[in-house]
Amino acid sequence: MAKLSARTRLALWAQRQVGRFSGIVWIPTIAFVLRVLLGYRIHNAADVRRRFRRLVREHEGPLLICANHLTMADSALVAWALGGSWWYVLNYRRMPWNLPEYHNFAFNWINRAAAWIAKCIPVIRGGSREHVSSVLRRIQHLLSRGETALIFAEGGRSRSGRVQTDSAAYGVGRIASSVPGLRTLCVYLRGDRQSSWSTVPARGDSFYVDFELFHPRSDHSGLRQSRDVAQQIVAKLALMEEAYFRGRGTPATT
Amino acid sequence: MTRDEVFAKVVKIIAPFAKDKDALEKVSEETNILQELKVNSARLVDVILEFEDEFDIEVEDEDADAVNTVGDAVELILAKVS
Repeated sequence: MAKLSARTRLALWAQRQVGRFSGIVWIPTIAFVLRVLLGYRIHNAADVRRRFRRLVREHEGPLLICANHLTMADSALVAWALGGSWWYVLNYRRMPWNLPEYHNFAFNWINRAAAWIAKCIPVIRGGSREHVSSVLRRIQHLLSRGETALIFAEGGRSRSGRVQTDSAAYGVGRIASSVPGLRTLCVYLRGDRQSSWSTVPARGDSFYVDFELFHPRSDHSGLRQSRDVAQQIVAKLALMEEAYFRGRGTPATT
Repeated sequence: MTRDEVFAKVVKIIAPFAKDKDALEKVSEETNILQELKVNSARLVDVILEFEDEFDIEVEDEDADAVNTVGDAVELILAKVS
């Protein structure tokens, strides 16, 4: 795992500290927007959060959350579904770092500043491999310090509305197989009215969420290992999706 | 193996992944694999793994990060096979 420059480490430390001390404002604000303004609800929220908090209490180390991806609100929804809001103010390490697509939010400085405060590290999808690699190195660094990160294992929102097993993002595997002591948590989240992909979920939607620790194994090394691990994570999400549709009595096909 | 032979094999491997077939017609060593040939960034790893199989080499993550153009791939392969 390549080491970051002192300047980059300092920048990440500053970003974390500013986000942490302002978290008392921005974390409940996001929860307010999701719950009150957009009217979202999480099925069995208390139980989901109790399970998640127990899981992170049992192991204090780094946690990589790998979720399915249908809307641009998914990272906020997954974090909110798992931890609520005030709990993150007190357990800031567990508020996940995110890798949003730069062009989705970088159109003005307010958005850029808000994303910076909210533990976002922008990534340019389809950007040069050096750029993507530098972003991955930052996430690896943060995870190696016991932080939590959320990555969408398919790389982008699923255009089919179902987990796309043929589009595993290699970077997920690279991270999952390179940070010592890392645990990988697969999360499946879907709104009851979410039939396909969209910008945001329908106002007033309720969300099913399930999660499971996953232990990918690979006999390969290098790039092949990263791809293998990424494919296993996406396959796991596809299994969780099958369980979701079975529970609704709907075939898990597009 | 000559540089031209490696170039030809590299282009043959990339071809099925390239979405811009017009750019593929005019491919040169300066052609950017992601931006010009429109190879999906996730698929670039598959391309590099095919290089590994075709040329019997092993490419590390850091080496793969330096592959942006067709010429970068040719350079990497020549360095590995020599």
